[in-house]
Amino acid sequence: MPGTKFQGKLEQIDACCWRIPRDYKPGMRVDGLIYADERLIDHIKADQAPEQVANVAFLPGIQGASLAMPDIHWGYGFCIGGVCATDPDEGGVISPGGVGYDINCGVRLMRTNLSEEEVRPRLKALVDQLYRDIPTGVGRSGKYHFSTDQLRELLRDGVGYLRSRNLATDDDLECTESNGCIEDAQPGYVSDRALQRGTSQCGTVGAGNHFLEVQVVDRVVDPAKAEVMGLQAGGVCVLIHSGSRGLGYQVCDDALRMLRDAPAEYGIDLPDRQLVCAPINSPQGQRYLGAMRAAANYAFCNRQLLMWQTREVFERIFARPWREMQMQLVYDIAHNIAKFEEHQVGEQRKIVCVHRKGATRAFPPGSADIPARYREIGQPVIIPGDMGRASWILAGAPGSMAKTFGTTCHGAGRAMSRTASIKEARGRRIDQELAAKGIIVRGRSWKGLAEEQPKAYKDVDIVVDVVHNAGLSTKVARLRPMGVIKG
Amino acid sequence: MRHAPKLPPAGRTITRDVYETFEHTADLGLRAVAADLDSLFAEAARGLFSIIVENLDQVEPQCNVSFNIEGSDPAYLLFDWLNELLITFDTRHLLFAEFDVHVTDQGVQATASGEQLDTNRHHLDHEIKAITYHGLSVVRIDNGWQAEVIVDI
Repeated sequence: MPGTKFQGKLEQIDACCWRIPRDYKPGMRVDGLIYADERLIDHIKADQAPEQVANVAFLPGIQGASLAMPDIHWGYGFCIGGVCATDPDEGGVISPGGVGYDINCGVRLMRTNLSEEEVRPRLKALVDQLYRDIPTGVGRSGKYHFSTDQLRELLRDGVGYLRSRNLATDDDLECTESNGCIEDAQPGYVSDRALQRGTSQCGTVGAGNHFLEVQVVDRVVDPAKAEVMGLQAGGVCVLIHSGSRGLGYQVCDDALRMLRDAPAEYGIDLPDRQLVCAPINSPQGQRYLGAMRAAANYAFCNRQLLMWQTREVFERIFARPWREMQMQLVYDIAHNIAKFEEHQVGEQRKIVCVHRKGATRAFPPGSADIPARYREIGQPVIIPGDMGRASWILAGAPGSMAKTFGTTCHGAGRAMSRTASIKEARGRRIDQELAAKGIIVRGRSWKGLAEEQPKAYKDVDIVVDVVHNAGLSTKVARLRPMGVIKG
Repeated sequence: MRHAPKLPPAGRTITRDVYETFEHTADLGLRAVAADLDSLFAEAARGLFSIIVENLDQVEPQCNVSFNIEGSDPAYLLFDWLNELLITFDTRHLLFAEFDVHVTDQGVQATASGEQLDTNRHHLDHEIKAITYHGLSVVRIDNGWQAEVIVDI
């Protein structure tokens, strides 16, 4: 791993949690807490991610603790896998670095009534058609183009706008976090340059770790919850991982520029330039929030259009309407976002701003903010793993509200840097190795696949064990990949 | 990386301008070393496009685009310069391989030469989401300058 090893204070609290005490560095306002077990902690200490957890504890108005999930790895400013809740009434800040460049990067899972046996004979044709029809990679535009006025409507109304264009159903809306629209989005705060970048990228996968996978339910752990989600062993699903594309990156970039001098203006002392922030109750803070929400709505729409195109490809390959194949959205969830939510902090109920940077909301059964159909089982949580092993579906559990501001992990987390991963893969054909395991993968380049090879990631089964054992979310079903398209 | 000659060890005289990439868990670091700020900014720009396209040597200087960036802090200027190039690629699909850069107290005046992306000839490599401020530095070293920046992949 790159970077230097973390050698600061790290105290084990229990089997699933470690603490960086507040006295580790002057300036920390709260402890840092890292959810991990013995199998993961040495890896986590191998670079400066724990230092970043400590740095986030400097942010004004932070509540409880600076938190990190078991898939934590070294990021910029915030670690990936970080969670930070701030109270606006205590001078709490909003930090674009706590959301990330890819605003509302997230995942959605769509089920089908097709079985692995039905899909396997057509799998190659299916994956090839997905790869042809769905834009992936650098510099690819999508088939959907929006005028500036249309784009502004889309940014304000989210997936509701697509429904008005017959590109989404009522069910699709209901099964998307926040019904596919974060309220109070302010398209007027999104720069012309961001709009320009957003014109033709809605409905494109992008590159890096983004993907679209055809998967099969490998194992059901909780049959009752799986049934509510429409999942059964051997059933075929589609998992989509993407975000707000160039529009979101530009919104983040614009905000970081706008906030360059804000820490000095508001007297905020920060250990890292990438943590720039402004009080939530400040003109700059409100400006970023309005633009960030608009970009989040763009991301919901991006994944909706990716799913819509997937339905069209399935219709073509299997020669019947998607509704007949019961291609229903199970859930769509953000893992790079900041949202205002009510949480118990000490003795008080408070509205706090929860930054989730590579972390997923995991509301337990009974929460008002999840679709009625899931209210008895808890919110579905989708955890993409790597393209060779597995992904997981979990359900939000009460422990998340008690410990992590309603949050759980978001993926496997990287185990190797991109450079190390390429070195490790030298002389190997990742696509052929996966083909030998029955997984068809289509990507632009050897290098792209080498960087994203299974070994580059931690074992998602171990990461999921931790959040399950810590009571943040519970296992419902394990999925394994059949076909993958990547940028 | 293919386009990355070894950097001179600290304390040695810089004999030519170079760039290289370095490890950062989920992202990539870019480091450039040059005798003066003008060359440093040009070298960092070449480094940026070497991350985007595998065969940078196949990018022909068919058109020029001018950039005028105001500012005085060298680190922020470098950030803004690389960012402008990245956005130009993202919005106009232009790849650049040659750079004529002048860094002054008031900012950067530059001309970038390149051509329209042609996926038949240009092998695209990484999608750079953004230039980040994390670890951003432009510092004097013996006989020259060194720049470091992490890009979000």
